[in-house]
Amino acid sequence: MNIVKLDMNEMPYTPPLPVIEAAQRGLVDLNRYADACHLQQLLELVAGYAGVPEHNIVLSPGSDLLLREVIHAFSWDRQVLTVSPSFLPTVQIADRFAHKRLRLRLSPPDFRLDPDLLLRALKPSTLVIIDNPNNPTGQILLDCDLVASLAKRQETLIVVDEAYFEFSGVTCAPLVTDNPNLCVVRTLDKAFGLAGARVGYAVAGEHFVAALSTPLAYLPQPSLRAAMEALRNPDYMRGYVRQIAEERAWLVKALRASGATVYPSHANFLLVKAQLPDMARRLRELNVWVSDMATQLPAGYIRVSVGTPEENRIFMTRYKQLTDEAHYEEDER
Amino acid sequence: MSKVIGLIVNPVAGMGGSVGLKGTDGRMYERALALGADPVTPQRTQQLLAHISRQDEIGWLVAPGRMGGDYVADASISFTVVGEIGKTTSAEDTRRVAQEMVDRGADLLVFVGGDGTARDICDAVGTGVPVVGVPAGVKVFSAAFALSARAAADMVDAFVCGVEVTEEEVLDIDEEAFRDDRLASKLYGYLRVPEVRTFLQPGKAASNVGKSATETKQAIAEQIVEEMDPGTLYLLGPGTTAKAITDRLGLPKTLLGVDAVLAGKLVGEDVNEKGILDLLERCRQRKIVVTPIGGNGFIFGRGSKQFTPDVIRQVGRENIIVVGTPDKVSGLDCLRVDTGDLALDEALSGYLEVTIGYRDAMVMEVRCR
Repeated sequence: MNIVKLDMNEMPYTPPLPVIEAAQRGLVDLNRYADACHLQQLLELVAGYAGVPEHNIVLSPGSDLLLREVIHAFSWDRQVLTVSPSFLPTVQIADRFAHKRLRLRLSPPDFRLDPDLLLRALKPSTLVIIDNPNNPTGQILLDCDLVASLAKRQETLIVVDEAYFEFSGVTCAPLVTDNPNLCVVRTLDKAFGLAGARVGYAVAGEHFVAALSTPLAYLPQPSLRAAMEALRNPDYMRGYVRQIAEERAWLVKALRASGATVYPSHANFLLVKAQLPDMARRLRELNVWVSDMATQLPAGYIRVSVGTPEENRIFMTRYKQLTDEAHYEEDER
Repeated sequence: MSKVIGLIVNPVAGMGGSVGLKGTDGRMYERALALGADPVTPQRTQQLLAHISRQDEIGWLVAPGRMGGDYVADASISFTVVGEIGKTTSAEDTRRVAQEMVDRGADLLVFVGGDGTARDICDAVGTGVPVVGVPAGVKVFSAAFALSARAAADMVDAFVCGVEVTEEEVLDIDEEAFRDDRLASKLYGYLRVPEVRTFLQPGKAASNVGKSATETKQAIAEQIVEEMDPGTLYLLGPGTTAKAITDRLGLPKTLLGVDAVLAGKLVGEDVNEKGILDLLERCRQRKIVVTPIGGNGFIFGRGSKQFTPDVIRQVGRENIIVVGTPDKVSGLDCLRVDTGDLALDEALSGYLEVTIGYRDAMVMEVRCR
């Protein structure tokens, strides 16, 4: 039986043919590091797409690597402030390397971040890393006003992880030109459907550019070419985002009808409070993979990536099958 | 090396659920039967036994009849029946058989039931022999339980292979209150359970697993002790995290009570409200150290009745130190208070920082019901 993979927030659709062909052209030059001219072209394309000058862009093979580098560069003598739950690799790297850790708990039913709490929690030397929309809750936690007021504190460094920006449409990238202590991290992994290519970038204020810019970030040849083609013709991405939004709405409705608690999402995934504490594991036994949030949230919370209509329907069938069985087996709980 | 494992089933656990009774404590069992409730524990027990993969390495001690023996006959496992029971079973049977199994050298006790059964096991074995709780009751709020019968089977397998054990909470749920849809749970005691994180994503959460519960508690204790002021009185509430602090100081701790520490010395053991108020008279600088109850997040009003509204008011909100392991705290939506004094509950609401490790804290919302 095929595995329905809804655990990594990938785009379920393959990139369009021209993007794949561009990657294939990159394969021909596999004996060479990426061409500096091509890297320059990608830099220009990313800058144009993000609406900032080129000198504010830093390329990287994956946005999580940028986050890791930021933490390595700035956390050894700082308090690292994140929300909880948050993107797990960020949390884990911060836990390992930060001088001090502070997490602000997001609580149901709305998982919102209290702006006053955030402002109060800033010690003189703090590195703030917040994913917006938040992963796994799908909530928008920051708006430009709040980010601007955070950035006014010169001694604070702010990183906004906008991996799912294309789905939410909310960004504070334009603020980096005026705020050297702000950095927005993005990726082509998600909305552009290029998870396998691993191309990320930072829209970085001056402090970050200085720390992150090793000469020119070398990207793998196929990834570089695929990214260039994707950004030259990004309309396909917008189509994908619309399809995902439609399917997300369908999933919300279907899950609610089955009795699950589903939280509204501004990304390509949904946070679900399942009726069974070990739902993720049971689904996995039925070849449906979702992400178990048990390390960061109470048992029963799962994160489900929005898949193709077919995948979503298989997921729902299995989900209902398990809850029905459980009603029969475990009606006392 | 093979292990001796005891199996005790509470045959009436969970029967109230399907008929809407929310528990079978006391006379409710007869009502459940009259309403046509089916026993749920046989199926749970069979699920458990079917999913244990290391049966070859286990010698079972099984309670008689409906308390175990009836379900193992066709499970093709090696077992010895322990103890005797009458026609109807009671909490006393659970306690007696558990004790007999311990006397017979059980390395682990597996019990199938709800919070009430956990309390009986707790009475019988305390934090002596480790246990695995299979959830089958109407009320299964205690952290000492596995998430499901299958998860319990994994815990048994892990125990056979050899894993660390950690203390987990047993709660006392007021069944009358639960029927009224009020969740009035209190800390009852602790059981030792194999430490297994079953619901991790493969790979992704790996770095979290590195630290055992014991190490995490030690890290929390290190943080608290580092910040301790010799002129301040510390009132340490119940729990194993608070115990890690006294362990670090080389002092004893009353697991379910409040102990008082001043300048590295124990100045009050298992103190009640009056004892605490006397101490507060003498010390102007004071702090309360509490840990939330797993699952519901109560820091006051459950399990630490010595911290009365009067005590909490005198100490002051700003002098409350909350500690908890990341595992426990991650399992909470928020912190809760229910001191019985509504104005105080309101005053305690807002945000509090929870120390979850060394130089590591989580800010959580405090809610009153």
